[in-house]
Amino acid sequence: MADPAAQASPQPRLQQNQASMTAGSNASSGSGSGSGSGNSDPARPGLSQQQRASQKKAQVRAFPRAKKLEKLGVFSACKANDTCKCNGWKNPHPPTATRLDLQQQAASLSEPCRSCGHALAEHVSHLENVSEEEINRLLGMVVDVENLFMSVHKEEDTDTKQVYFYLFKLLRKCILQMSKPVVEGSLGSPPFEKPNIEQGVLNFVQYKFSHLAPKERQTMVELSKMFLLCLNYWKLETPSQFRQRSQKDDSTAYKVNYTRWLCYCHIPQCNDSLPRCETTQVFGRSLLKSIFTVTRRQLLEKFRTEKDKLLPEKRTLILTHFPKFLSMLEEEIYGENSPIWDADFTMPASEGGQIGHQTAVISPASVSGTPSFTKNSSSTCSLGSASLDTGVSEPMPGEKRRLPEALTLEDAKRIRVMGDIPMELVNEVMMTITDPAAMLGPETSLLSANAARDETARLEERRGIIEFHVIGNSLSQKSNKRILMWLVGLQNVFSHQLPRMPKEYITRLVFDPKHKTLALIKDGRVIGGICFRMFPTQGFTEIVFCAVTSNEQVKGYGTHLMNHLKEYHIKHGILYFLTYADEYAIGYFKKQGFSKDIKVPKSRYLGYIKDYEGATLMECELNPRIPYTELSHIIKRQKEIIKKLIERKQSQIRKVYPGLTCFKEGVRQIPVESIPGIREAGWKPGGRDKCSKELKDPDLLYNILKNLLAQIKTHPDAWPFMEPVKKAEAPDYYEIIRFPIDLKTMTERLKNRYYVTKKLFIADLQRVITNCREYNPPDSEYCKCANTLEKFFYFKLKESGLIDK
Amino acid sequence: MALVSTDTKIAEYLTELHQLIKQTQEERSRSEHNLLNIQKTHERMQTENKTSPYYRTKLRGLYTTAKADAEAECSILRHALDKIAEIKSLLEERRIAAKMAGVYSDSDPPRKTMRRGVLMTLLQQSAMTLPLWIGKPGESPPPLCGAIPASSDYVAKPGDKVAARVKAVDGDEQWILAEVVSYSHSTNKRHTLSRRRIIPLPQWKANPETDPEALFSKDHLVLALYPQTTCFYRALIHTPPHRPQDDYSVLFEDTSYADGYSPPLNVAQRYVVACKENKKK
Repeated sequence: MADPAAQASPQPRLQQNQASMTAGSNASSGSGSGSGSGNSDPARPGLSQQQRASQKKAQVRAFPRAKKLEKLGVFSACKANDTCKCNGWKNPHPPTATRLDLQQQAASLSEPCRSCGHALAEHVSHLENVSEEEINRLLGMVVDVENLFMSVHKEEDTDTKQVYFYLFKLLRKCILQMSKPVVEGSLGSPPFEKPNIEQGVLNFVQYKFSHLAPKERQTMVELSKMFLLCLNYWKLETPSQFRQRSQKDDSTAYKVNYTRWLCYCHIPQCNDSLPRCETTQVFGRSLLKSIFTVTRRQLLEKFRTEKDKLLPEKRTLILTHFPKFLSMLEEEIYGENSPIWDADFTMPASEGGQIGHQTAVISPASVSGTPSFTKNSSSTCSLGSASLDTGVSEPMPGEKRRLPEALTLEDAKRIRVMGDIPMELVNEVMMTITDPAAMLGPETSLLSANAARDETARLEERRGIIEFHVIGNSLSQKSNKRILMWLVGLQNVFSHQLPRMPKEYITRLVFDPKHKTLALIKDGRVIGGICFRMFPTQGFTEIVFCAVTSNEQVKGYGTHLMNHLKEYHIKHGILYFLTYADEYAIGYFKKQGFSKDIKVPKSRYLGYIKDYEGATLMECELNPRIPYTELSHIIKRQKEIIKKLIERKQSQIRKVYPGLTCFKEGVRQIPVESIPGIREAGWKPGGRDKCSKELKDPDLLYNILKNLLAQIKTHPDAWPFMEPVKKAEAPDYYEIIRFPIDLKTMTERLKNRYYVTKKLFIADLQRVITNCREYNPPDSEYCKCANTLEKFFYFKLKESGLIDK
Repeated sequence: MALVSTDTKIAEYLTELHQLIKQTQEERSRSEHNLLNIQKTHERMQTENKTSPYYRTKLRGLYTTAKADAEAECSILRHALDKIAEIKSLLEERRIAAKMAGVYSDSDPPRKTMRRGVLMTLLQQSAMTLPLWIGKPGESPPPLCGAIPASSDYVAKPGDKVAARVKAVDGDEQWILAEVVSYSHSTNKRHTLSRRRIIPLPQWKANPETDPEALFSKDHLVLALYPQTTCFYRALIHTPPHRPQDDYSVLFEDTSYADGYSPPLNVAQRYVVACKENKKK
């Protein structure tokens, strides 16, 4: 399409326009423009550049028809015959002096083309019956093409240059075909992400500041508008600059966004043949994430250096509030679980109500001179010769969980319990515990002793110290090198922390494409992970390995890992975890909500899950309504609210009762309703009796009893009761003990489904003990064993809910 | 009762500390002024390009004042550091007393056992807030500063943190982190150990910039607290700290690694002590 010859010819013609076109490639140079108001507003070269372009267009459109045709002829293919391949009329007498456009006579239609020799008329024959309006549209494109051509030559950054060149070709083609320009390729079409930046920032203002007084809130709204306006005119850093700065692998994704931004936002600013979109309306969080740190620094720097030019009232706003505003926004941009990016973000109605969106958008004039849209684009040519079509479909390295926070908010609204505390009261209490000052104060690194187990880990994740990625090997596509490195890291952590597992076995599973691993990354290195295998058809996931490297233990990482894994599975619709836990892991899994009580029917996992000798099968059922990574935080907040509510209630009911003394006198238990004042405080009887109900499901009972019996049998003091007493060892035993029982017999009875109620089971267990006490002297070794075993199994019975606590 | 009086005492000290800090600022602005004078005099001398006796006397006077000012500021700062140490020791006394009495403060409700994570945070905090020893010029660091061991006749005080060599359940000997309850009184259930089996932990950090001799050097054999545990293991110093707040980087003896040592791990100055025995096992 754009052969070198075709490009070469318009060059001399364009020279006179060069000055006004320089800015096309580099917005930072406001200098050298000779025309109009170009230089009057140095802070807004984007606008002036746009003005220059439209001025030029107006000028061209005012030409006489003949001159217009000549101009279009330059970009129109020769139609003399089918064999002529000439794609643009070239003036045989190129103008030599500059500034001749207006004076010079239009070339006559019979003038032959310098390249193919056919007359100009042959090139513009298709324009004969075209309306003036369409001619003008095409002329607009011609001006834009000329500008783009200059931009291609001026631009130093390879990536940007490519885009300019692509658009140059595109517009040329459109003039030839008289069509409308559409950017093709795999860039996708706007909007590229939802919710967009504008929505996110507005949500942020609502989320963080809706509790403020109207005046302060308005300040924040203004700041947000200013921020959005700045972003719309901000020049992004080039992909090569981004690569140098971030050293992360997401530079491919950034390049795609950068290209989109050039095509849809930046270039159309002064090139109105192309449809223009606002950056903040078509891009979302991902772009903001990649540009925020740099843009923030530049913005603040700009404001600092230009603070004298600001209006006094704006100065305080910008210099005092803006940095804080940006820091708070930063947390929401990089925070894993920020709700402001939820598609259906809604704010629980508070007394402050919604922040008025009707506030007038700050017009560019009202922030006069404040935002600067320039950025030094001193770029280095480097790397990549990738075309516009690359990089979009690259598999993302790790899937990041988005928290279904909207769900919990909705649920909170939907489920209203009868007689519940009115929402207004809760909101009021919320106000007293969310101290806005606390939010802005210095971050304390010293957590209180009562902080939740995963509090540190959660904070570290929010600050980007640690990261979580679900990764896995793949045989069908070439894995990213970084992922392979992480997998090796995981294999090392597992084999080091699980010395009893053969290293080859660990390697085999970690690199098996059916297994995935949730990796915990700190400083780019793997410090822990959970290897798992999902069985979507069976509705469960097997947890295969789980470890954190020894010097990073006891920091809550294990808990946070498991919580991330839970959220990942909720997203994928799997609600059961199964794992064979060895004796050291049982404690950990219990803390993570696992139990030995298996609810998944055996038929569903038998033959799927790897069975380990001497390990205990444990299960965890997930509740899709729980945001696990935030759970401890939510509970902490709920506790605070309830504490406040209790305090309020206490201040309302002034009567003070003397404390109960009956416990000191040896009473073990009293009915709740007999506590003086408890009814007056709002306590209602009932609702508690469900707990002791007999388990209906026989399979469930069977499983509980099986687990229980297994644990009792492994107790160190169970050895005397493992098998029936041998007559040879105690000849008179069966004369004294009328109902002998032992753990082996009990196991058989269990297998034969004899224990249809828990009562039968407990009775047999108790008999083991009473038989022993009956036959043996109380201070004998056997009786000591019986005592400890009895304590142990009553504890276990309580724990499994078979008897009341 | 005792607790209340400690509280008032601490409050008192804090006020004094506050005043001291204010005084420092005053002192600082005074020396600032003088330093500026010195600078100006030098500039003037530069322009006149000769050292007249007038300037010589003037400069001498100025430098003497500046030195006196700096010393005054220094002594106030030292005074403030002493106050902080006193407050810390009062807090420590109170903690020990509370523990003895079995009383818990409101801020930490009674828990039968402290969660391990919390204990680890406390240990890190204790390492972080270990005071830095700041000697006068020419003064060499005292025992229990950085790598300098306690004197041979040192008897650990109650509340001191030590590395203690104890027999574990399986009969193996292990160095564990311990706190001294009392000396030479046998207490029930607690370990009573001979003094040989105790290594007191440093009570000051050594400043690598001023007292590098009070730090273990590279490849020195030490006992270091393994991160996130309360056990000391033999390790080699990989790199000593460069700045006062830096940690040692050490290589733990670990047979599960091919070369017999773990990768470098960070351990605070507070938890690195000299390894006494050198016997092979």
